[in-house]
Amino acid sequence: MLPEPDTRCHGWALRRLNQRFLRAAPPTLPGGAIPGISGYSPPVSSPHLQFAGVRRRFGRLSVLKGVSGSVEPGAMLLVTGPNGSGKSTLMRCLAGLLAPDGGTIAYQENGTPLEAAERRRRVGVVAPDLAFYAELTVAENLTFFARLRRVSPERGLGVLGRLDLPLDRLAGNLSSGMRQRLRWGFALLHSPRLLLLDEPFQNFDAAGERIARELLEEHLEDGGLAVVANPSSLDFHHVAAHLDLGR
Amino acid sequence: MWPRISTWAAEATAVFAKEWRCELRTRYALNTLGLFAFTTLVVVSVSLGPLGVSLSQGTAVLPVLLWVILLFSVAAGLPRAFVQEEETQTAIALRLAATPSALFCGKLVYGLTLVLALEALITPVYVAVTSLKVVSPGLLAGTLIAGGYGLAAGSTLVAAIIAQARSKGTLFSVLAFPVLLPLLLLAVELSRSAVAGDPAGVALPQLLLYDASVTVVGLMLFPAVWNP
Repeated sequence: MLPEPDTRCHGWALRRLNQRFLRAAPPTLPGGAIPGISGYSPPVSSPHLQFAGVRRRFGRLSVLKGVSGSVEPGAMLLVTGPNGSGKSTLMRCLAGLLAPDGGTIAYQENGTPLEAAERRRRVGVVAPDLAFYAELTVAENLTFFARLRRVSPERGLGVLGRLDLPLDRLAGNLSSGMRQRLRWGFALLHSPRLLLLDEPFQNFDAAGERIARELLEEHLEDGGLAVVANPSSLDFHHVAAHLDLGR
Repeated sequence: MWPRISTWAAEATAVFAKEWRCELRTRYALNTLGLFAFTTLVVVSVSLGPLGVSLSQGTAVLPVLLWVILLFSVAAGLPRAFVQEEETQTAIALRLAATPSALFCGKLVYGLTLVLALEALITPVYVAVTSLKVVSPGLLAGTLIAGGYGLAAGSTLVAAIIAQARSKGTLFSVLAFPVLLPLLLLAVELSRSAVAGDPAGVALPQLLLYDASVTVVGLMLFPAVWNP
């Protein structure tokens, strides 16, 4: 059994009790190995994501039917599949935004396994349904989220400078490509070790895609991890594994 | 310990500041609450003004109507606190970035300032147009502050619960009724005491206890209703 408490029970009260007991006794083995995965022993300080048998239903519709995969530092897991194959659902489960019905998701940083609530705050997410406050400017949006992320607002503005975003424009007045740049800014704001990118290059012009690719490459070269969901395959030399949900 | 509290407080303050910044640019809640309060105030004043109700009846009836006006004004505007986050899909970014308890407190303080501003605007006008004689204005002010806090805390909690539901309006009414009923009964009793000059008795500690209970329950429940 992997150390992911939110996948073991469905009731929130039971889940919280489960989390409390698991927090009291972290389910890691010496060397950072995860119990239940034979032969796997990552370096203690390296982040690592592993998920196995992840299932998720919406009513009668079974979207994820036992999906498994893993990603290690400096590598990227590419998830492909046609529309409706469950790519976004998998990404939401990995981000801790959606509780899977079954299976296990184990993510650890610095040798410490992170439960869904902690994982949610650590990961960097780019997703098509990620929206910002239309009444606030680009700078105000990222300054607000920088305060919530507990990083300096200057860090947020630095990320925006790299993405070539107009700081004083209202987020509601951004083009779709600029909104996508803002999503990237939000994802990179707190220098996450794990990036979960759902259709990360959609709506970009050539310059936007080049900047995003550079940022992703730098993230991976710095030892970060990435899971990228895209309808089709991507030409990216960091892809370590390919998960096709269309099969 | 203290650094953790200060960063938590900084998060809650950021949420509070963001709420007011967005509100001052859209004026959705301000317009809704203000218009509803003004309309009901005019209706009540015209129907039960100085000539419409006797002094003894006024002591019994007018405090009730004041709280009815406040309740429905708040119900028209405050449930938007979390519903709008879901409808505009900003809730995803908030879930990823915010500590749930800090988010709850930031939204609660925003709701409280909105309710207190409404009370500060409505109550003097209401007292003036109905010629209501308030013997203990201090007690009335205390009741409005404590009752306003209860209204804001209860509405924020219910708003968080209904945010992800489909029939939000109906659900708010159903859930708000048991949550806000004890508060309104206590607030009306205390307001009557303030108008008549009677001592507050046990109603004031009970109202403060209600406020504390809703806050604690809100902080405990919110992470569960907010996160998946």
